[in-house]
Amino acid sequence: MMADSGPEEIAVIGNTDLTSAELENNIKNTMVEIEKWTSLLRKMEISVGEAEKRTGKNTVNMQEIYTVYLIETRPVDAVTEGIIPAPDSLWRRYSEFELLRNYLLVTYPFVVVAPLPEKRAEIVWHKLSADNMDPDFVERRRVGLENFLLRLACHPVLCNDKIFYIFLTEEKGWKEMVYETGFQAKADSRLKAMNAAFRVKNPDKRFTELKHYSDELQTVVSQLLRVRARVADRLYGVYKVHGNYGRVFSEWSAIEKEMGDGLQSAGHHMDAYAASVDDILEEEEHYADQLKEYLFYTEALRAVCRKHELTQFELEMAAQDLASKKQQKEELVTGTVRTFSLKGMTSKLFGQETAEQREAKLQVLEQQIEEGEEAVKEKNTESDEFVKTAWIDIEHFKDQKDRDLKEALISYAIMQISRCKKGIQVWTNAKECFNKM
Amino acid sequence: MSAGTPKSLASSGQKPIQEICHPLGAEDTASVLTPSPDVGNTITSIGGKDLSLPNGTPVETSSPASSSSLLNRLQLDDDLDGETRDLFVTVEDPKKHVSTMETYITYMVATKTTRVEFDLPEYSVRRRYQDFDWLRTKLEDTQPTHLIPPLPEKFVMKGVVDRFSEEFVETRRKALDKFLKRVADHPVLSFNEHFNAFLSAKDLNKRQGLALLSKMGESVKYVTGGYKLRGRPVEFSAMGDYLDMFTQKLGTIDRIAQRIIKEQSEYQVELREYGPVYTTWALSEAELQGPLEGVASCMANCSSALDELTQDMSEDFLPVLREYVLYIESMKIVLKKRDNIQAEYEAKLEAAAFRKEDRASCTQVPTDVEKCHDRVECCNADLKSDWDRWQNNKRQDFRQLLTGMADHNIQYYEKCLAAWESVIPLLRDKQPQETETEED
Repeated sequence: MMADSGPEEIAVIGNTDLTSAELENNIKNTMVEIEKWTSLLRKMEISVGEAEKRTGKNTVNMQEIYTVYLIETRPVDAVTEGIIPAPDSLWRRYSEFELLRNYLLVTYPFVVVAPLPEKRAEIVWHKLSADNMDPDFVERRRVGLENFLLRLACHPVLCNDKIFYIFLTEEKGWKEMVYETGFQAKADSRLKAMNAAFRVKNPDKRFTELKHYSDELQTVVSQLLRVRARVADRLYGVYKVHGNYGRVFSEWSAIEKEMGDGLQSAGHHMDAYAASVDDILEEEEHYADQLKEYLFYTEALRAVCRKHELTQFELEMAAQDLASKKQQKEELVTGTVRTFSLKGMTSKLFGQETAEQREAKLQVLEQQIEEGEEAVKEKNTESDEFVKTAWIDIEHFKDQKDRDLKEALISYAIMQISRCKKGIQVWTNAKECFNKM
Repeated sequence: MSAGTPKSLASSGQKPIQEICHPLGAEDTASVLTPSPDVGNTITSIGGKDLSLPNGTPVETSSPASSSSLLNRLQLDDDLDGETRDLFVTVEDPKKHVSTMETYITYMVATKTTRVEFDLPEYSVRRRYQDFDWLRTKLEDTQPTHLIPPLPEKFVMKGVVDRFSEEFVETRRKALDKFLKRVADHPVLSFNEHFNAFLSAKDLNKRQGLALLSKMGESVKYVTGGYKLRGRPVEFSAMGDYLDMFTQKLGTIDRIAQRIIKEQSEYQVELREYGPVYTTWALSEAELQGPLEGVASCMANCSSALDELTQDMSEDFLPVLREYVLYIESMKIVLKKRDNIQAEYEAKLEAAAFRKEDRASCTQVPTDVEKCHDRVECCNADLKSDWDRWQNNKRQDFRQLLTGMADHNIQYYEKCLAAWESVIPLLRDKQPQETETEED
């Protein structure tokens, strides 16, 4: 353990996060089976097909209703051979997806792990149900979960994970398997690390910038989603009021002779106009979901930045420790005391040590210095390794983000174009009816 | 400036009553008084004269203040075609006048005509709202059996509405223009001497007393005639019922239109906040900066298109609806007047029959009662032709109003469509340098 090293919280030290050695080991293990798994997963169709309601007892032994999702997998090979076998399938509930994700976060701290769709419907416009049991919400969540699995399956590192594979293929016993990896302890200490306060002297600037970026992105996308929901609310109001025209034109047409038919038909178009907004807004929710995914991605980004800070901090601490030990040795050898230490003081006060004592101390120190140098070397490698792998993943993420968001904007624009065209159509129809009045 | 009843209708080819020969001369002839739902077939007499056109078609005469309803009917179609219109009136160019006593707006009333009743073929005079009001009152007084088009609201709450704002003045100008056009298109009202004066005189010699009387004041005199009506002809009851229901529908439509404007404004508020968020986002992006800014400016365009739509609806749609409500009110008053005239006639008839029984000798219908009956007939005829004309105008006006509403909405969506379509190439542009494209 460290000696005095300043006011920083050092509770983080002693965490059992993967050391670089462990990481290497993991990679080695998966490398062996990489051929088998990579090829299988890249050639595997994955889909989240349906959702069903189940009842059961929860952890406090109370009845609860929850939704399960059907995960279907099928090797692509089978399909191309002309025979289409039934897919393998199993049911999973949302909490199991959460468990999978937590496991991956802990196991691959350098990866920007794809986020899950919302647990509860938030930032919705008021007509849209915020009820978890609402079929539209469940449907959108199903799509989100499928998207999540596909993101994992496409990821060059994550797709090879054994636990992920079994999540997709074996219903029973998966949970136990996850816990057997001992990830829970790592998860706990990771959580502590995330929340701890410490100051890093020399973080990689790119990570600092990334952290700022993810903060900005989170703020702006949250705001965007909120305003969009309000806009949707208002748009709903505008469309629906036009339905009143439908009714009054119908009533009015009853008291007219020549004008009656035109009015009546125009009224029908107004009704159709008012009704059209439901589908329009339901479609727009898809856009909101795409934005939400990236909103939640910012959390994963921040986690990776945090991990870098942690590794960097540990490196700095190890270096500092080494430096202090070296200094102590120097002092011992030269007999000068530069730094204040309790031992130094007591020895001054209570007399010098014997030559043997000094020799023993020196040996200990030299041993510690050796170990310290090892530690620093290790931490250095670890840090470098982390920065390297993380940055590859981050660049990958950035490209994905730019592509995805551009697509999202394009499809949003197309939605708007479709809405405008429908509007033109309805009003043109109504105008024709008015002309016949 | 001409006075008195029209001498000839220059381009329509129709002759006024006074020029048609009266083949029967000034003989006293007893006539059969029949109720006449069918305007063209009635044979009536005034002072025992039978009147008919040269070709033998019987003609219905009426009080000196209005020409025959048959002529009305014949002219109706011509006016609708617009081919034989010989009087064009517009209201334009509002200007503010500031004097020590008051500030007010005047409008230029421009007239072009080939009618001989006018000394000149063109006129251009300045009139203020008061003058229009005077004209309307005069028309109501002198043509009590006809439907006079309404004026826009006279009183506006100071402090609530700005009487001198561009929008208010423009809305009023349009309504005044419509008023004069309706009068000019009316086969009877357009020949009214006061209308002529209004269009041509340099200074309107208004008698201030009348001008200060509100529209309602004069009308009240006719409404509370003091006679009780026995049997109203079905068609006039139907008219009354129709007007009641129609007013109701207009009220509903007005409320809906206002509600839509309100909802659109609230939508606008949110939209104005929405676009700028994209701009803010663009600041922290590189590859996405262009697309995001494109979306932001697109939103801004949609926002201003919505502004225009809301404004158009406020300025074009609502005022016309409200004006029709006023029109209906005028129509109801005319119906009431008709009722009173009929009631008066019935009362007098009854009284005469009573006296007749007493004397048991007189066979002749008293002229007094006859005059009343004529008035009833004329009033009914005028009203019916005015009603038909009104229905036709109403149909055209609402067709125009509603197609206008549809047009405004179409234009709004077209503007938005153009904005979004122009963003697409911007969004698709600038693909990142694709060295190796693995997925997708």
